[in-house]
Amino acid sequence: MDKMKRGGTSRRSLLTTFGAAAVGLSFGPALTGCSPAAEKTAGAEEAKLNFYNWDTYIGETSLADFKAASGIDVNMSLFATNDELFAKLKAGNPGFDVIVPSNEFVTRMSQAGLLVALDHAKIPNIKNIDPSFLDPEFDPGRKYSMPYTWLTLGIGYRKSKVQGVPDSWKYLFDSPQYAGKIALLSESADLVRLCAKYLGHSVNNIPPEMLPKIEAMLTKQKAYVKAFHEDNGQDMLLAKDVDLVLEYNGDIAQAMKDDPDIDFVIPKEGSLINSDTLCIPTGAPRPENAHKFINFLLDAKAGAEISKTILYPTPNAAAKALMPDDYRNNPVIFPPADIMAKCEYGAFEGAEKAQAYEELITKVRAA
Amino acid sequence: MEQSWKQAKAVFAGALGPPLFWLILFFIVPLAIVWAYSFGQNDGLTEISFTGTFSNYVRAIEPLYLKIFVKSAWVAGLTTALCLVLGFPVALAITFAPPRLKTWLLLLVMLPFWTNLLIRTYALIAVLRTEGYINLSLEWLWNGAGGLAPLVGLQPLGAFTPLELLHNNFAVVVGLVYVHLPFMVLPLYSALDRLDRSLLEASLDLGAGHIRTLLVVVVPLALPGIASGILITFIPALGAYLTPDLLGGPDSQMIANIIERQFKRANDWPFGAAMSFLLMYLTFIAIAIQAVVSRNRGRAA
Amino acid sequence: MKKSDQSPPGPLEYLRRWPLQAWLVMVGVFLYAPLITLMAFSFNDSKRNIVWQGFTLKYYEKALTNESLIEAFGNSLTIAAVSTLFSVILGALVALALWRFRFPGKTVVDGAMALPIVVPEICMGVAMLVFFARVMPWPQEMPWPLNLGAIIIAHISFSFPFVAVVVRARMASFNREMEEAARDLGAGEWRMIKDVIVPHMAPSLIAGALLAFTLSLDDFVITFFTSGPDTVTFPVKVYSMVRFSVTPEVNAASTILIAMTVVLTAVALRMQGDPAAAAGGHAPAAPKA
Repeated sequence: MDKMKRGGTSRRSLLTTFGAAAVGLSFGPALTGCSPAAEKTAGAEEAKLNFYNWDTYIGETSLADFKAASGIDVNMSLFATNDELFAKLKAGNPGFDVIVPSNEFVTRMSQAGLLVALDHAKIPNIKNIDPSFLDPEFDPGRKYSMPYTWLTLGIGYRKSKVQGVPDSWKYLFDSPQYAGKIALLSESADLVRLCAKYLGHSVNNIPPEMLPKIEAMLTKQKAYVKAFHEDNGQDMLLAKDVDLVLEYNGDIAQAMKDDPDIDFVIPKEGSLINSDTLCIPTGAPRPENAHKFINFLLDAKAGAEISKTILYPTPNAAAKALMPDDYRNNPVIFPPADIMAKCEYGAFEGAEKAQAYEELITKVRAA
Repeated sequence: MEQSWKQAKAVFAGALGPPLFWLILFFIVPLAIVWAYSFGQNDGLTEISFTGTFSNYVRAIEPLYLKIFVKSAWVAGLTTALCLVLGFPVALAITFAPPRLKTWLLLLVMLPFWTNLLIRTYALIAVLRTEGYINLSLEWLWNGAGGLAPLVGLQPLGAFTPLELLHNNFAVVVGLVYVHLPFMVLPLYSALDRLDRSLLEASLDLGAGHIRTLLVVVVPLALPGIASGILITFIPALGAYLTPDLLGGPDSQMIANIIERQFKRANDWPFGAAMSFLLMYLTFIAIAIQAVVSRNRGRAA
Repeated sequence: MKKSDQSPPGPLEYLRRWPLQAWLVMVGVFLYAPLITLMAFSFNDSKRNIVWQGFTLKYYEKALTNESLIEAFGNSLTIAAVSTLFSVILGALVALALWRFRFPGKTVVDGAMALPIVVPEICMGVAMLVFFARVMPWPQEMPWPLNLGAIIIAHISFSFPFVAVVVRARMASFNREMEEAARDLGAGEWRMIKDVIVPHMAPSLIAGALLAFTLSLDDFVITFFTSGPDTVTFPVKVYSMVRFSVTPEVNAASTILIAMTVVLTAVALRMQGDPAAAAGGHAPAAPKA
């Protein structure tokens, strides 16, 4: 009984010391990281900004540069997919001032009343933007969003393992030639739309009769697909798990730096364009600061800094002019105009369509 | 064996009060809202209206989704069985280890699980993939054997074909076992630790071998621990979604992947809620069956 | 049987027998091999971290000076610590109540306690999101650590039933005669709980605490839905970094986390002067009475 009791209390104290030590240890580093006291000037907004962004999607010094220029402290939080962003904001804005949704979600969120109309007078740097990006279908007149980056989908492939240039979606969707060496993006809407493109139709307004055809085609192709990846296709390509992937041009451009045997092509049937944009969500506590920040990011030098780090195509013509040649003339980052003419933005066509595409892919994967 | 609560009201209130309050406020209430959603429908893009409809449940039991339910249960069951087989000797070893080693062994078992799940899964991928460590080692061995074969007079071996260890159901099970092993070991250890050693020693003295002792003496006595280990391994395994997502092949999707997509991409919270609750009802049935079985077995022991 | 240098293994000294040792080693390799490679690759001089390209410490430098990463660490550890503390208390309390008492509605409470274990994480995440947005809004812009409150509450809610399961399994082996003996000797209710029941529970409290800590530290889904602008946690940070693929910086950060946990635990054990360590040297083979 004695030994048992001694064993019991010593174990219990282990627990408490463990807990106390853990708390004590975490106090240290965390205190240095906690948000510094915001200055409040009478009547004006605090010199602070909550920025909700994709990870590593900003220049290395951008936030520090903004603070030096305006005195506003930017606190950047991270999300990984548009769906998470939408789900988070759907129930109410927890305090974000600037967010970075993709094109389709700009439409979705503005329809849901989750975005604030931007005051262009407060964003003079809009003049830096390439005119072709100023009036997109997903946000006419740039009412709710400012362009940040754009990207296209295509085929990343390993030159030594592939015959010639795989310049058609056929090799991914409709051919056993590279069986077991293909990885497809698991995004249901993108897959369905690109299949429609391969079948000769636009990515938008896909007629319901086409869906069973697409389902049959993908179900048959599934036997040759090695995996459905969640946007890490470039890693699979680099690791030689697969030889062809459906991926974004920016990701493959980064992979090409590590391995010259990798290349990228946009199939001749055309492809999808995405654009990541800067928006202000409804209920943002500091819309003034938000406008200043967006304006700063559209500045030519700031834009060049960002592109240098993230290597995605930029819609900012002034920033692009400041970039080195191997960026501006890189056909992977900036595909030639004749190919771009065949690429379209995927429009948001309502919740039912999204659900229908989702169910199609579920059926394909369960078959 | 149990007392009536009236016999020690203060203790009863003190013991049951705070947890129950917490459970109701911070769990039952939020869950009730989602349960209400499962009978509702999307009203525009952000609102959900409660229409008292069963359509979501009807859709959830279509053959397409039922098939996935069954498959997930099968994978989770296999995972649990493997965890039990792997984990029981480990728990046994820890229980009978010298006291000095016990805490360390427990911590050694837990340590991998304080690494982030995503990172651990990527580490597993690095081990399993086409040019991962297993295949590289095998290739090295193969080539070595291929070099030696002619010396022994055998035909030289052909080129090495890597094993397909990733992006299939095998990888998913390996990943799930890897993640859920400590959830099996801890309750097992907790129950085994309090076994009356003299019973075991008596059984061994009477001539029963170790295996026999294990099966006939230890297992029945430790059954509550085994049951709870199975419970807290099977159910999270059933609801796992990251592991099948990253490690699985084109047809390895489990029910939690589908549910997750309803809450995200498809933006169909009512349907996602209906499937979640269906999953829960089925799990409850499984728990009930298992409780009845272990009670009967416990009585017979 | 392997001959040790002290005496042949006793009948129950499983750890000293080679089959079990071999099994432990095998399980150890299985558990640790991916982890070791993870740590080894944190020194890899390659941004993509797929192929080994050279030794470097620069990612450790990056990780240690990455303020948001450190803040995320701090947040995760704090949340895990507080959550573990409350989960163990609540879990032990409810296990005690369910084990000891008969009361109307017991089956309902039993079932309710199983719910958090059964609920899919995403469902609970959404439930918590809606709860903290519509039903009980957590005030924004609160000072640290109170701004972590919503996350901590959510973590406790899904952790303490796990602790309860572990503790209940342990209590099933409690010998009631000891309780009666204590009562006969004049112990009051609370005294008896403190000195008789809790020591018996102790191993399961440890096991439960470890479980709760793990659950909290690793959680992504529920944390994501309950976190706000100022409350990035480590898994959330890692998950979003992964969109641009796992760089060695993440490996470095994880290695640091593992190292910290090991050091922390060693310190804790040393602080409370582990009596087993003190007693080491005396017949280590004697099984606990």
